[in-house]
Amino acid sequence: MTNIFNFLANPSRFRLFSQKAYPYTLLIMSIFISTGLWFSLFNSPPDYQQGETVRIMYVHVPAAWMAMMIYFFMTIMSIFALVWRHPLADILSKCSAPIGAGFTLVALVTGSIWGKPTWGTWWVWDARLTSVFILFLIYMGHITLVRAFEDEYKGARAGAILTLIGAFNLPIIKFSVDWWNTLHQPASVLKLGGPSIHIEMMVPLILMALGFLFFYFSILLINLQTELNIRKLKKLFIKKFSEKKSF
Amino acid sequence: MKKFNRLIIRDIHIVVKGASDAGAALLFYLLAIIMFPLSSGTDATLLTSIAGGAIWVAALFSSLLSLDRLFRSDFEDGSLEQIVLSGISLETIVLSKCFAHWLTNGLPIVILSPILSLIIGLDFSYWWILGLSLLLGTPSLTLIGATPAALSCAIGKGGVLTALIILPLMLPVLILGSGAITAEISGLGGIGHIYALAAILPLSLLAVPFLASKALRLGWE
Repeated sequence: MTNIFNFLANPSRFRLFSQKAYPYTLLIMSIFISTGLWFSLFNSPPDYQQGETVRIMYVHVPAAWMAMMIYFFMTIMSIFALVWRHPLADILSKCSAPIGAGFTLVALVTGSIWGKPTWGTWWVWDARLTSVFILFLIYMGHITLVRAFEDEYKGARAGAILTLIGAFNLPIIKFSVDWWNTLHQPASVLKLGGPSIHIEMMVPLILMALGFLFFYFSILLINLQTELNIRKLKKLFIKKFSEKKSF
Repeated sequence: MKKFNRLIIRDIHIVVKGASDAGAALLFYLLAIIMFPLSSGTDATLLTSIAGGAIWVAALFSSLLSLDRLFRSDFEDGSLEQIVLSGISLETIVLSKCFAHWLTNGLPIVILSPILSLIIGLDFSYWWILGLSLLLGTPSLTLIGATPAALSCAIGKGGVLTALIILPLMLPVLILGSGAITAEISGLGGIGHIYALAAILPLSLLAVPFLASKALRLGWE
């Protein structure tokens, strides 16, 4: 395991790896998303209370999972960046933030669309909704901060520090529906004592979640390549400029 | 410990001389509270229901305004660097700065709030829950805001950006603090919120000195 970490720690080696891995992540994503969509739209039962609107769940729940998982991943990477100064960790954290913000927005919007027919309202100030909204604001603050620095290296490190300060919001989101008795339903898949959701709904949900995960991987790889290219271009430019001056 | 005290006395001295805007932040707190009755009407029952939230929002903005200057002046004129060179660890300096900020901003707010709750229409029998939530909440506000304040020094510009970063991080404290008062008024008992606030304070006390000094060192790189 440590060997893999060390092997991929070299940015140019990682760039080659990401270029090779990118098409595969796209392929796996399209397989999961297409089968998942077929299952969730045509081959899963409607809910006995909510009817067909329950199908929003197959987008809403994976997006919400991803929103939290990406922040968790960013937290781990920030610890790596600050404690061991891993050269790629802060870049990974920086490149994940816009994707996480996107998933959070998708979760909020689909949740709102789902809330109108089932709860009768677009928005309630319930614990889960509020904390996910705060998560979105933290993501946006992170993106703004990182881009305020002129130096990419400093910006990515600053983002890592901010990620750790915001990380205490994560357990609040996960357990908000268990701690407070609010409108949003408690967890029914990821909880102690096994999932309480029927297998016919579970299968498309897992497929969509895996599809979303590989979607995240492929976007992350593209973001990483862009970031590494920008850094390399700047270095080349400085090198060229300093060589010219010496003549 | 002697050095720690001296650092705090130095910061308080700066505030008393008027060289920092901590006094202005306190005045802002009074002004912000007056805004609520003036904007949403002087109806007594309405005021009672928003009083806790109004006091908490005013406290949060007052803290936010003064936090932007927490490290900035010392960072820019180089005195922070000199204090570090004198052999005091940066983590200690961060803690002393936060403590001095709380003494000059948080503590006056805690003391003033029971009096102000009278003019905004909160029943005086709730003064203890208001005071307790502010006593536990304002140090957390200072500590949570310290790291973004240090980061804004590293960028070199502050203002709106600092507020944009700090505000979402402070929201859980605001929700719990004003929630304690609303829960107490509605008869549910606000002590659960107080427990949660009491948990946030030691957690931020542990994490913040480390992270804020990381952020300040980033500015020196």
